[in-house]
Parts: sequence; structure tokens; C-alpha cells
Amino acid sequence: MSTGIGCRNLRVYAGRRELLSVPDLHVASGRTLAVLGPNGAGKSTLLRALGHLSNHRVTGEVLLDGRPAPRSVMRDAVVAVLQRPIMRRGTVAANVITGLRFRGMNHREARTRAWPWIEALGLEPLVDRDARSLSIGEAQRVSITRALAVGPRVLLLDEPFSGLDSTTRADLLADLRAALTGRPTATILVTHDRHEALALAEDTALLIDGQIRQHGPTAEVLDNPGDVDTARLLGYTNLLSPALTGGTQTLVARPEHTHLALGDESDDAWVVSGTLRRTVALGVATRIDVDTPAGPLTCLHPGDVLGTELPPIGSDVRVRIWQARSLT
Amino acid sequence: MDVLLDGLVDAVRLLLTGDQDSWSITALTLRVSLTATAIALLLGLPLGATIALARFPGRRIALAAANTGMGMPPVVVGLFVTVLLWRSGPIGGLGLLYTPTAMVIAQAAIATPIVVALVAAALQQVDPDFRVQMQALGATPIRAFAALLGEARLPLLAAAMAAFGAVVSEVGAAQMVGGNLAGQTRVLTTAAVLATSRGQFSLAIAFGLILLLIAFCVNLSLTLIQQRQTALR
Repeated sequence: MSTGIGCRNLRVYAGRRELLSVPDLHVASGRTLAVLGPNGAGKSTLLRALGHLSNHRVTGEVLLDGRPAPRSVMRDAVVAVLQRPIMRRGTVAANVITGLRFRGMNHREARTRAWPWIEALGLEPLVDRDARSLSIGEAQRVSITRALAVGPRVLLLDEPFSGLDSTTRADLLADLRAALTGRPTATILVTHDRHEALALAEDTALLIDGQIRQHGPTAEVLDNPGDVDTARLLGYTNLLSPALTGGTQTLVARPEHTHLALGDESDDAWVVSGTLRRTVALGVATRIDVDTPAGPLTCLHPGDVLGTELPPIGSDVRVRIWQARSLT
Repeated sequence: MDVLLDGLVDAVRLLLTGDQDSWSITALTLRVSLTATAIALLLGLPLGATIALARFPGRRIALAAANTGMGMPPVVVGLFVTVLLWRSGPIGGLGLLYTPTAMVIAQAAIATPIVVALVAAALQQVDPDFRVQMQALGATPIRAFAALLGEARLPLLAAAMAAFGAVVSEVGAAQMVGGNLAGQTRVLTTAAVLATSRGQFSLAIAFGLILLLIAFCVNLSLTLIQQRQTALR
């Protein structure tokens, strides 16, 4: 049986209501699975159930190396990082060695073991700081280092990047990626952001309403939405009904692949007529919302195209969709 | 003004010479109040932790009851304990009324709600996911709870100080269930009341000063523990 963490017939209930049902899931050692889902899909519920940390009623089995493992074994093997970094009183160093201390290691030994991780994640300048005086980004970095320092066989990450600004997040993602590379850790990252999945995970599972809808290699899953819900989750937010395209089935398209037809382009793209509703400057791109008879469409133009090139709000425009796909 | 000044001078002289009676009264005060505080901590810590952390029906009512209990007049507690221990009362057969044990019972009853309410408040201040995160790092549930107590140690020690401060300074319950019997159940507060009523102001002031000194010493040692751990951060 392959090593790693998994579950069989895992179900979580709040009272009588079923929050989550995962018949079968396995993450091999050395691999990372991203569980992608919208808010309230049951992502944290899944993570906590796998880590034996749930307050809810859980049925089914959590498997370590293919076998149900007793709690004491799981406790030593699994480490979880929660969404909000929760620091103990004390220095950053004291926080980083917490997991090792829980495993019975003395202070000195724990510090020696943790030091390479402190260096790998660039925490040396912070080691003697009071952990409660850290910024949220620094605290999350400490929280992740604290988990890695244990050398866990299974690492569970519950949206650890969600509260961070984009620069901090990109740095931490890169450092975590480097730290995990080549290690025999089975990692599960729960997130609502597909870019994090792309950056960190070989495999991705889409979790919607407590069920895994799709599961496979990340690049494949992210580009093959199977239904309207997963399409929205994966950024295919423009729905093109058969009435709009003249085809037989609904197509989905990314806003990046949907532009306002400003000139006389004539190629094999779909062209739809509508009314310009609003424009929003996003800095690196400009978002343009258009109402069509078959529902709203969102266009995303690179750069700032406001003012000069755009027709006024409320005027009739044509939208050009040059890449769309059917739901597989 | 003279009364006060003379009283103070006399009081200091009394303290410095220190007769047998004052010492035994002081010792009894310490014994009764420290025992009562210890019992209150023993009962109040698990109760307060349960109210703070567990989810059960009636939890908020229990918390409201403890908060109300914090302001309960010692005289009321004294009355209940007296009725309980009265010769014809439910446990009157034990013959505890007018003994130091009765005073410990009454003072523990005063201090327990204080400990419960302050412990619950102390533990609720910590992030609700604190124990989950500790367990997620490999702590057993017991270890995670211990870590939580460590996290809240400053307000927990404050709870202990508040409990001791409340019982060492109360006079109503000690008077009612102890009876202020010389050499048996006389403590500093009841002795001070008696001395005052007899017009022995310097004696009363002396007892008052000892009381202050005890309260200060106990709180000083707890504060030192509290702040030593803060410095270790």
C-alpha cells in the first residue's frame, strides 16, 4: 500500500445535516493536493476531519499509509496550520519549537532541530521577537515554520495565505514550495484561490457542497470545468448559452478571453451584442461588464483602456469571445 | 486627628512587640483564608474552564449565576452556612458551627463564584481555536488544555488574587459562622470590629495594618510570579 494520508467513506455531520462526504481520497508522500472550493464548501471541515481536529460528528476512516491509524500515531504524524496564525505567548523561537516540545523533545534539542527551518524561511531576524508583536504575514510565516519544524509526514494547510497581501503571499508561497520540494511529506492545501493550487500542488480536487466534483493533475483540473459551479470556481465566469453562440450546448469562457470588439476584427471568434454597463480600472487590467440578452458577460482587457478607446456607458457594443469551452 | 495618630503609634508599638494573642489571630486568619482560597481554586478552576470551553445547555445561565455570585454579600453567605450548620439544620449533627472549619466553608462559598467567573473570562479571552492549533501541532487534549492555562496565566493569577482578597477582608460571614470566639475563631477582621466597638482604636488599627500587610504580601508574591513569567517572554 502506498504511503501518505487518505480517507475512506469520510462523512461529517452537524446535528443531522451532512456537511461533507468524501468516499475516497489519497495523497501520496511527497505530493501536494490542493482542495479548491468556494466559501462554505466544507474545505476546513475536510481538513479538520483528516487531522482528527473536528468538533463535529465524523464517521468513516482516516488512513495513514493505507491503514486506519490510532489517534496517537496520527497525532505524531500530522501537523495542521490554521487559517489565522495562532501564536503562543513567548518568542518566535519558542513558538517554532512548540510542536517538537509536544513530541517530548527538550528545549535545546528542539532548537537545534528547528534552526534549519528558521533559516530556510528567513526567520533569523525575528527569533527573539515577542510572537504577539508580529504582523499577520510574519505570524503566518512563523506558523508554517512551526509546522515544518516537526518534520511531519502529513501537512495540512487551511487557507494559510488568505489574509495576506499579494507580495507577502507570493514570497511565502515560493518559500513553502522550496521547503516542501524533495521531502517525503504528504501535503493537503485547502484554498479558494486557483493560483495557489497552481503554485503549490501537483494534484487538485474541487470541493463543492461537501462533495469532491473533480480530482486530477492540477493543470488538467483547472482547465476542464465539468459543470457551472466548478466553472465559476475555476474562473470561467462567462456563461454562453446555446442561444448566444448558435451551438448546441452551453460554453464557458474566462473574462481574460472575452474582449470588447473595438475595431473590425473578423476571425473565428464568437461575437455577441450587448449594452455596456460599467467599467472598472483594476490597475494591470480593466474590467468591462456588458449586459446581453442571455445574461451578463465580463471582459478583462490588459492595461488601462479607460477613457480613450471605450464607447460611453449604455451604448451598444459587441463582445468578442476568442476562447471558450464546453463543460466536460 | 489625635485619636488616629495615637492609634497609629500604638498600633506600630503593638506590632513590634507582638503579643501572643495577635499572633494567633493572624495565624488563624491566614489559615482560614488561604484554605478557603485553595478550595475555591480547586472547585472554581474546573467549573470555570467547563463554562468557558464546553458547549452545553444552560451554559450562559451558569455564567450569569457565577457573575452574580461575585457580588454576593458575605452576610448572605454567612446566613446560609449558619442555617446549614445550625444544630437542627441539615448537617447540624456535625457540630461545625462556630469552628474554623465553618469559616473555611463560608469563605470558600464566597470565593468560588469569583474564581469561576474570572477563570471563565480568562480562558475566553484566548483565541477559540488555540487548543485546536495546539492539538494540530501534536499536543494531547490534556497538554493542549495545559498550554491554554499557560496562555491565560496572568488573568488566572488575577483570579486567585481577587478570591483571596475577597475572603481575607470579609467580616460578615466570619462573624456569623465563626462567632468571634477568642482563641478559637477570632480573625483579624472580627477582632478589629470588636476592638472598634470597645473604643480600643489603636488595637483596631493594628489589626487593620496587619490585614493590609497580609493582603499586600500575598498579592506581592502572586504578582511577582505573574510578572516573572511575563519577563520570560
